[in-house]
Amino acid sequence: MPGYQSITSKMVRVPIGPGQEVYSRRGAMLAYTGRVHFAPSTTAGQGIAGALGRAVAGERTEMMHVTGQGSVMFGKAGLHVTVVELSGGDTLYVEADRLLVHDASLRVGTMFLGEQGGIGGVIRGAVSGQGLFTTTLTGDGSCALLTHGGVMEMPVTPQRPVHVDPQAYVAHRGRLQNKLTTAVGLRDLIGRGSGEAFQLQLVGDGVVYVQPSERKI
Amino acid sequence: MTPPTSPTVYSAATLPANDNVTAYAFCVDLDGQWFAQKGKMIAYYGDIRFQALSSGPLDALVAANFHSPLYSQDWIVAQGRGKLLLADRGFDVNSYDLDDGNLTIRAGNLLAFEPGLELKQSIIPGFLTLIGTGRFVAASNGPVHFVEPPIRVDPQALLGWADCPSPAHHYDHSYMRGVIGAARSMFGIGGTSGEEHQFDFTGQGTVLMQSSEVVADEDALLRDLEGQIGVLGVSGLQRLHHTIGRRLAAERQD
Amino acid sequence: MLAVELAGDTIRALNGSMVAYDGRMTFKRQGISGGEGLRGALKRRIAGEGMTLMEITGQGTVYLASEATEVTLVPLNGEAFFVESESLLALDGRLRTGVQFVGLRGMGTGQGLATTKVEGHGTVAILSDGPAIALEVTPQTPLSVDPHAYVAHSGQLRQDVVTDVNWRTVLGQGSGESVQFRYQGHGVVYVQPAERGGILEV
Repeated sequence: MPGYQSITSKMVRVPIGPGQEVYSRRGAMLAYTGRVHFAPSTTAGQGIAGALGRAVAGERTEMMHVTGQGSVMFGKAGLHVTVVELSGGDTLYVEADRLLVHDASLRVGTMFLGEQGGIGGVIRGAVSGQGLFTTTLTGDGSCALLTHGGVMEMPVTPQRPVHVDPQAYVAHRGRLQNKLTTAVGLRDLIGRGSGEAFQLQLVGDGVVYVQPSERKI
Repeated sequence: MTPPTSPTVYSAATLPANDNVTAYAFCVDLDGQWFAQKGKMIAYYGDIRFQALSSGPLDALVAANFHSPLYSQDWIVAQGRGKLLLADRGFDVNSYDLDDGNLTIRAGNLLAFEPGLELKQSIIPGFLTLIGTGRFVAASNGPVHFVEPPIRVDPQALLGWADCPSPAHHYDHSYMRGVIGAARSMFGIGGTSGEEHQFDFTGQGTVLMQSSEVVADEDALLRDLEGQIGVLGVSGLQRLHHTIGRRLAAERQD
Repeated sequence: MLAVELAGDTIRALNGSMVAYDGRMTFKRQGISGGEGLRGALKRRIAGEGMTLMEITGQGTVYLASEATEVTLVPLNGEAFFVESESLLALDGRLRTGVQFVGLRGMGTGQGLATTKVEGHGTVAILSDGPAIALEVTPQTPLSVDPHAYVAHSGQLRQDVVTDVNWRTVLGQGSGESVQFRYQGHGVVYVQPAERGGILEV
């Protein structure tokens, strides 16, 4: 069965069939052909415990369960759509409201950012206004992300750490440590900073997805 | 700084004639008259006059080509010789040629058309139908995607359709019956998300889709609704008033 | 998105426009004078035009962007270049900036009364909502522009705010273009395929 197909930079077509069910963000279905069913879902494949965890975490984006036989086109508000393929137990870290659609076969989790990068992770969530929790997708399958402007994929290697504006950060995958750094003297942080006071430093082996904008969704 | 590529500089002579300048701007090589929607012209060279449809000298042209009193205040006629640049909210812009054909398009997204075409209001509120032979220019949020019926399309993602019958409303019964769906249909909580209601296209033809429509033509839709209020009597107006009040209360709670 | 490779040199860029970088970079907010001397700072205060640039120095690649808008690179060879300061993404460290009063122009686009003037030899990166279109103006072919679509211009141009009766009555009434800019002389005008907020009623 063919996978996710980017129709335009802002639309993706997803085949639906037996064994090929997906969860999608509500209100993001643009069109469909065939016999396809949409059911509101508050658990998004995580079960009740997961849903509770998500509710506590504030990572609560309304999702729906899409089943049947046919194909569905997804998109949202003119935002760019980027398809990401996961394989071999890869984990993608992404804010819930940037998830447009993902295979039901992917394991969904919620992670407290403090687990990664210590106190820096906590501040990162606070700074970028994303809350302290992020959604994780693990397994073999596809997902599609929403970004403001086309997304840039930046490879990170141990020799080549990357610094990202927390507002422009979209998602990352691989074995990456993230931590919040400051590239300016403390004096500059008080009052009239350059706007780049905090930066998210990603070190390790993986990929970070960056959007050319500071706008949230 | 890298890479130091300089942009193409266009002049009155080198601007494309009746073609796209970029994916987001279209250049009309005007020699005569074009209908254009207000606020969609970003620049022009040459001797071009803009006239309201209500101005006397255009009566014959308007009578022959423009059959939409609801939208007439949004439109003007550009007249003269020159190059006229059209653009809209940074949306993708495309031109379409009709050869003795018809195409229906979202009113807010139609930028301009040649007088060879006649404009009429569609049965579907917020849409306009072009009939005849000639060219028109329309904008879409993201590139246009063409699909063939049978297909069900979210009302917000529908840009237009050609040759096929007008769409019918489709309601997803199982979605409506769900706990949340029921609450939504009763109280309209959170408005409509699109999954419970689509436009259903059948038959032969082409459907034009875009990523989404955002606020842009809320004004056009409102005017459409206001236009329909005229047919209601006092009891109808009271009932509408009641419905709107209940919906507003639900929105406030949400 | 604009990628700038730096090898120890300095550029100036719009505050907050750094999206990502690798290598070593330092970011410095420009002092109150913004590299224009005290006179420049005073003029800015009066003009209501905030100093919106920061200095970036380092080794590596820095990626700049803002609000997902398009970036256009304009090479300058000594001619004067005028741009709304909010549309100025980055410029070579060796280019000079100043303030230019433009009368009513700024009001039309809701940007305050002044525009940034850039001079020297080097490259300027400007932002636009959708790719900017460069339009040449000659004495034989003057150009009319919707103020909300205007981004920047260069060369020897005379800019008039025209309240053409015909244009105004047809397009105006608070929602469309009630005025237009008319450019005459020799130069290039940059327009964007979208309209900024802000309405000028004259």
